[in-house]
Amino acid sequence: MARRSILIFGYGNHGRQIAKGLREDGYKIKIVDIDAEHIALATEEEFDAVEKLDLGSDETIASLSPQEYDKVVCVMDDEHYNVFITLSLHSLYPELYIVAISDSIHTTKKLYMAGAKKVIDMYEASAHKIHSILTKPIATKLLEDFILSKEGIAFMEMTVPEGSAFVGKHTDDVDFSKYDVILVGMVDLERRHGFEFMTTGHNHKIDAGDMLVCMGEVEKLHIFKRIVERSGRRE
Amino acid sequence: MNDLILAFALKLHRSVRYRHLKETVRSLLTDSGNPYKKYIDLFIVFLIVTSVMILVYEVRHPLPEWMDIYDIYVVSFIFVVEYLARLWIQDDISERIVREYHDAKFLERPFSLKRPLKAAVLSKLRYMVTPAAIVDLMAIFPAYRPLRVLRIFILFRVFKLLRYTKSINQFVEVLKNKKFELYTLLFLVAFIVVTAGIAIYVFEAHVNKEIDNLFDAIYWALVTISTVGYGDISPVTPQGRAVSIVIIISGIAMISFATSVIVSAFSEKLDEIKENRIVEQINKHDHFLIICGFGHLTKMFLRQAPPHFTHYIILDPDAERVEQARKEGYNAIKEDASRSEVLSRFNLERNNVTLLAVTGSDVENIYITLTAKSISRHVKVIARASSRELVPKFEHAGADDILLPHEVVNNMIHIAITQPIMYKALHAVLTGHDVARIYEIVADRYDKMEGTTLALLDFRRFKMIFLGIWRDGKFVFNPPKTTAIERHDIILVIAKEVSMEYFDEVMKERYGG
Repeated sequence: MARRSILIFGYGNHGRQIAKGLREDGYKIKIVDIDAEHIALATEEEFDAVEKLDLGSDETIASLSPQEYDKVVCVMDDEHYNVFITLSLHSLYPELYIVAISDSIHTTKKLYMAGAKKVIDMYEASAHKIHSILTKPIATKLLEDFILSKEGIAFMEMTVPEGSAFVGKHTDDVDFSKYDVILVGMVDLERRHGFEFMTTGHNHKIDAGDMLVCMGEVEKLHIFKRIVERSGRRE
Repeated sequence: MNDLILAFALKLHRSVRYRHLKETVRSLLTDSGNPYKKYIDLFIVFLIVTSVMILVYEVRHPLPEWMDIYDIYVVSFIFVVEYLARLWIQDDISERIVREYHDAKFLERPFSLKRPLKAAVLSKLRYMVTPAAIVDLMAIFPAYRPLRVLRIFILFRVFKLLRYTKSINQFVEVLKNKKFELYTLLFLVAFIVVTAGIAIYVFEAHVNKEIDNLFDAIYWALVTISTVGYGDISPVTPQGRAVSIVIIISGIAMISFATSVIVSAFSEKLDEIKENRIVEQINKHDHFLIICGFGHLTKMFLRQAPPHFTHYIILDPDAERVEQARKEGYNAIKEDASRSEVLSRFNLERNNVTLLAVTGSDVENIYITLTAKSISRHVKVIARASSRELVPKFEHAGADDILLPHEVVNNMIHIAITQPIMYKALHAVLTGHDVARIYEIVADRYDKMEGTTLALLDFRRFKMIFLGIWRDGKFVFNPPKTTAIERHDIILVIAKEVSMEYFDEVMKERYGG
């Protein structure tokens, strides 16, 4: 699998943690910041692709060739910059997948208008979390652990390739417990609904290109993924 | 004799039932947080009102016998009981005796009942001379029929209402703060009335046939200064009229002074009264939220809250922010949550309270956490911290959950990049948008679920995704179908709301609960 590359604007409060997390997951990362201190810190922490840039003009942004990256993350400490960079990037490369951070509803709106694909509002997310803690404390904690693979249990997305043993089968007929994984939901291309939880009760027919989202112990997931991706005659 | 009393005191002191009874009575009579106090109050108010109504009715009509009996025996009897109960809970004689006994043993001095009894009696006497206790006592008097004059003491029953109606209490409370001004005013009025009364008496006692004595003169002065001016007595000599002019003018001044004193007293106290009301209201709920700090996070939190979410109160020391919160229609009071006195006003011990320490400052949040935990270990604290390094400090302070907003977003961004599909799913699961939510099914909710196997629960039939069981502080992921449910298990599932409701219905039918 080719290493996916991410372009991160900002190595401040958020950028630093995000960059480190992504590096652990094996992503290729490029960091850009306007602040010399941040840049120094990033270099010190052994990120090789680090650049200090004045982001005022389109040329400098274009010089980074952002279109070559899978995703762009805007997490500058100053939200004005986030909006500005998002806007510049979007006007230059409308197809770009931009994830941005926001710390108020107004900024969230502006970022979406500027062309960000995904905006994560710090207070909105935190407030959601408080509600979750209040109503279902255990589920909240566990879910978070699962997603960060802390409990040894994780979610995994896997695309069903052409020729997989699962192609043509119905989800109700497959005994997932045999593999010790749970099928949480899937993207069924035929239905064009995007991601659907299994709670809809629909008996999906698995085709090549569909994406399964499973949950289970990390090793079991990897094994299962290999089984799914193996072109199978038996099984 | 001494020994007998001591033995009795010791027995009472040790008796759990006695102490429990006393505590219940105390709580019913004095603790505004007690849910049943309301009914007792209403009952007493009813007795008072009917009693006064009978008094008024009696003026023109012969009283039927049952009314008489009701008024004399029932009402008075209940008032006597109430009076004695209040006196009883005022002090603890048995405890004083027991303490004295232990002290005496410790100091090896002869044990004497005199000291504790004296202290107890003094304490009770001190209670008996408080205005409220005197009114209570007076309200009992009308039961004594031979003295007709005592009938008017029924009006003391009206005064009793003071104890049971908060608004009048608050009115008195407010005026108490202006004691000095009001006394000054009263003194001034008394001075003018007496002086003017004497003057008119000297000038007109011989000439004016309406003025027989000094009482008439003072009565006239008071009627005039108050601008009421009945006109039953009026000055007839020029000197008398001159006196009238002086008191009328000073009367206007007095009235405006009195008005301004009362108005200013209220405007000063209005905020406090309002805040007390909000605090009392919230204390009536058996579970509620105290939100410390009204910032972005709190605003967001409230905006996301389900409709009819009213069991909360916002505390913020900043007047401007409180004003803003009120404008947006939230329950906010201007108080500093890091002060013990502020948090003590809430029933942290009895009620199920969750406190959100979500101000912008870590220092403040830690301090609030500590303050809350020092008042009661029961209160659940969710604190906001700005960085991971601070987490041990918060844990040490006793926070039950620590929220790291920065980390929350960082994780979200991480997931959004690494598992974009999962991000959407997670968002939906946590925020509970139509498709599916994660649910915690508490096995104890159903009476006889213990022992049932997972296969029998058949989550698939309900179109629920079974994730695992939370048991003894650990999560068992996807256990085999033959696993039996144990007591205190919490089952984690992902399901649609309708599925969950249906499941709950079926389980209740099957296992009871």
